[in-house]
Amino acid sequence: MANIARALRAAGAGLRVTRDASAIANAEKLVLPGVGSFIAAMQWLTETRIDAAIREAVSRGAALLGICVGHQLLFESSEEMGTTNGLGLLRGDVRRFEGPLPVPQIGWNRVCGGQAILPVRTGEIACPPLFDGIANGTAFYFVHSFAARGVASEIATAEYNGPFTAAAQQGRVFGVQFHPEKSSTAGLRVLRNFIACS
Amino acid sequence: MQLIPSLDLLNGRVVRLTHGDFATAKVYGDAEQVLDTLAVPRGARLHVVDLEASRSGRPIETSIVRRLAQRDLIVQVGGGIRSLDDARRWLDCGAERIVVGTAATTALLDALVETFGPQRIVPAIDVRDGVVRTEGWLRESAMTMRELFTRVESLAIPEALVTDISKDGALRGPSFSLYRELRSITRVKIIASGGVAASSDLASLARLGNISGCVIGKALLEGRIDLREAAARLAARNAVPERVIPCLDVRDGRVVKGVSFANIRDAGDPVECAMRYEAEGADELVILDIDGARSSIDTVRRVAESIFIPLTVGGGIRSVEDFRETLRAGADRVAINTAALRRPELIAECSAEFGVQAVVLSCDAKGGLCAIRGGKELTDVDAVEWCRRAEELGAGEILLTSVDRDGTNAGFDIELLRAVTSRVRIGVIASGGAGRLDDFRDAIEAGGARAVLAASLFHDRVLTVGDVKRHLEAEGIPVR
Repeated sequence: MANIARALRAAGAGLRVTRDASAIANAEKLVLPGVGSFIAAMQWLTETRIDAAIREAVSRGAALLGICVGHQLLFESSEEMGTTNGLGLLRGDVRRFEGPLPVPQIGWNRVCGGQAILPVRTGEIACPPLFDGIANGTAFYFVHSFAARGVASEIATAEYNGPFTAAAQQGRVFGVQFHPEKSSTAGLRVLRNFIACS
Repeated sequence: MQLIPSLDLLNGRVVRLTHGDFATAKVYGDAEQVLDTLAVPRGARLHVVDLEASRSGRPIETSIVRRLAQRDLIVQVGGGIRSLDDARRWLDCGAERIVVGTAATTALLDALVETFGPQRIVPAIDVRDGVVRTEGWLRESAMTMRELFTRVESLAIPEALVTDISKDGALRGPSFSLYRELRSITRVKIIASGGVAASSDLASLARLGNISGCVIGKALLEGRIDLREAAARLAARNAVPERVIPCLDVRDGRVVKGVSFANIRDAGDPVECAMRYEAEGADELVILDIDGARSSIDTVRRVAESIFIPLTVGGGIRSVEDFRETLRAGADRVAINTAALRRPELIAECSAEFGVQAVVLSCDAKGGLCAIRGGKELTDVDAVEWCRRAEELGAGEILLTSVDRDGTNAGFDIELLRAVTSRVRIGVIASGGAGRLDDFRDAIEAGGARAVLAASLFHDRVLTVGDVKRHLEAEGIPVR
């Protein structure tokens, strides 16, 4: 959390770290970080009613960026320990990485699709693409055991035990599976792009 | 690069010889059973050697080859092919291609190419110490490697099988230098053979660029390589960049550096170093508190606040609480050494509490044994076994330092690296001994490391992180 706040500040954001549901519901831009378990994170969001606050903010037109587990929480469900419902802001679900390569994936991996993505328009509001100025194949830092695959909102992919969703966007809801706050200049650029999204 | 399982046949069964000596034959069983056990996929290429034929000079195991060819496998077969009739017998059995060793240096090669076409002939070239060998490895050939390849090229043969026989069956790693040399000698694609012991060897061979296939024998039969995993790694080999990691050894808030963990001298301010390294392209940073006193937690905090790349911190971590405090100070991962050797469960406890990705085993190896307390004390624990155990207990990566090489600039300990990387699935960071640019390449290529670490070279500005990354990239190793 401290790292993400620091990176956002370095990328030019004025921000507040909060767990206050009404502040969240009224925010213009939200960043939802997350590490550890999807279930624990979702339970906490429900208990604190932050889940409803996030949905309200998004329905009012706020921009939202989910990072790592925060990205996974945007989807409908995760199969971590059975099936757990997520925020359902993006269609699709999150599954454990299956395949011969060791899980979790820990480390840098190349992300493709960046510049090929066209700006998505929702009503009158134009969102500049999250990967503006970032070349195809740029590496970002990942640490995760679960991932969404081939979802409709996928704007960037990476390969690990097959292709998976490295970033997703629908309207003003964005998610990145990697850690921009650990991905050096490329990561800071993604955060700047999110901050610049009007 | 195709993965080509190899079956050496003797008396109707799959065997392995060491250094081509029939007295060393180890029996693995019936050919089809072996193929099933290894999960060789349909459509795969298969390399079959009729050992008796190579000794006696006439085809023996024809019925087995016929059955294998009927299993939807692309079979190349070799062993004592001395005439057009021998070759025809194998092709009539369903073999796709024939592998010719001794004949490759004689006029028979021309006749084979003329009769069956260059696509169906694979010259097998055995090399020992840079010299071509023939006839069951016993005799030195009159031709040099360059002459032989000129001949192969003039016959329009697309591929040749090259075995460094000093490496074959020894699992000591393929002869990367030989294959690299061949890249400058010939355009002929090479089927590499000999020494392959780990899936990292396959990735490294594929990166050379002139290797079209790799024959895998003993490593497959002994279960050291899983074909599915190897294929997945090859498919992803350009995706996952290998990492270059500067290491800050810290004491009293300063970066210091010694030789073999002694003769410590000042090497700068940690925050300045860290920021410079990130700007140069460092993929990660390691901070080691060389006194193991955890007095550097404030340094960790200051460094963590100044960089946007992953930070691994080690030195003096004795408990789950120490681990937690270090993460809170801004570390992404924490390396444990002495305390884990004294109480291995610490690895499992930290892994359960903070996740496998947070736990790095720091292993200081000295003469194959683990050293503790910053290299001051030697244990009787075997370093390779300990790394295996740590993986089972839940370590996410291994930082493997050769105490003997540390600070000497004499090159990484490739043998130590291979011993560990061929036995664990988690990543290994090579540490201790970096001196020249090629050392970094060798640690990844031959050592199988997934990351290379250096300290004094970077502190003293002998090399920059950028120099190392550019060199790795030029050598075909993907970097960020």
